[in-house]
Amino acid sequence: MPIRLAGLRPVLLVLLILAALALVAIPLWLIRPFTPQTPDGLAIAYALRRAAPWGTALAAAVALFLAAGMWRRARWWSRALLVLAFVPLLGAAWLAQQNIFEKMFAPLAGARSVSAAEATWVEEKDPVLAVALNGEAAAYPVRQVAYHHIVQDVVGNVPVAVTY
Amino acid sequence: MWRAEIDGRKLSFHLTGINNQNFLMQDEQTGSWWQQVTGEALFGPLKGRRLDLVFHDEVTFGVWRREHPDTRVLRPDDSAPWKEFSKDWEVETAKMPVVTPARPGDPLPPRELVAGVRAGESARAYPWALLKRQSPVLDTLAGKPIVLIVGEDGRSVRAFERVVDGQELQLFARPGGPAGLVDAETGSAWSFTGEAVSGPLAGKKMAKVFVLLDYWFDWQAYNPETSVYRGGL
Repeated sequence: MPIRLAGLRPVLLVLLILAALALVAIPLWLIRPFTPQTPDGLAIAYALRRAAPWGTALAAAVALFLAAGMWRRARWWSRALLVLAFVPLLGAAWLAQQNIFEKMFAPLAGARSVSAAEATWVEEKDPVLAVALNGEAAAYPVRQVAYHHIVQDVVGNVPVAVTY
Repeated sequence: MWRAEIDGRKLSFHLTGINNQNFLMQDEQTGSWWQQVTGEALFGPLKGRRLDLVFHDEVTFGVWRREHPDTRVLRPDDSAPWKEFSKDWEVETAKMPVVTPARPGDPLPPRELVAGVRAGESARAYPWALLKRQSPVLDTLAGKPIVLIVGEDGRSVRAFERVVDGQELQLFARPGGPAGLVDAETGSAWSFTGEAVSGPLAGKKMAKVFVLLDYWFDWQAYNPETSVYRGGL
């Protein structure tokens, strides 16, 4: 019996690697640009994205436990394979903490601004998203908001998310 | 533009994905996913909630600065990607493919620019080219008389409820004035801000109506019940 369980360890290790990769790859695949999204696909992406940070960490931890058990009896090439197994596992755990969308488009969390006279880079004909709240007026050039997608600011004491 | 607050709790947003070419954002506080164009939470603890729209304009900087000389302006990020992006983004975006299938008998091409207006449960798309040609456009949406005006710059747009003190107004372009209007009822002159600048109604204001400039495919996706303005014919 112990021998059998031990024989299952490489299989479990491979399954853990696949599961960890699936946790990060499936949401990316489902919500990639230039493809249609469905409500079900979005729901799956949301669930996996929520689970990915702890799911991939758990997979890596269990894998470490399995690998430790296999290490003593393993030959040098098996040991090399065991080490290599942690490349995708740790890669997935790292990726689960990253926000790829924010690496492509950098949202502006704390917007800074200048007076109209100083805004020499904005032309008269440039469209702006403009707001006047509680006596304060602010303009967000569409070209910039279209790049950042989200600009967060406070206008007239109201926290706003300017989106485009 | 959304109020970044729900039940008095401030929300900070991050980009988190794409839903049929409209992006999704995630709030840091609850992890809920929000649709950018509707302000509705699709998943997470706040699912079903809607952010409050912050009434704003999409006008040219020239128009806005004349009306609000004290306005502040977003300072650009000096990062390289932004500079790369800034060239011809409008032209490039218009060329991008559309992934949602065109419906049979779709009245407009997917990338047609429309000015979208909602009133109650009704929504109407005003094709931009037609709107520009006919401005001011007088219409009635869900029983509400409205007027859409394109500014003299040909890029700014605003809409108003053309009712003052219970009286419905018929508005016409005022010759010579900058995107100015005149009403048939009193002969008062109206500016692009929706304010009567002279005549018997001087000082009166029409209520603002929110206009969203959007591509037809996107407007239609989030306003499936929308009708399309046909030029008053």
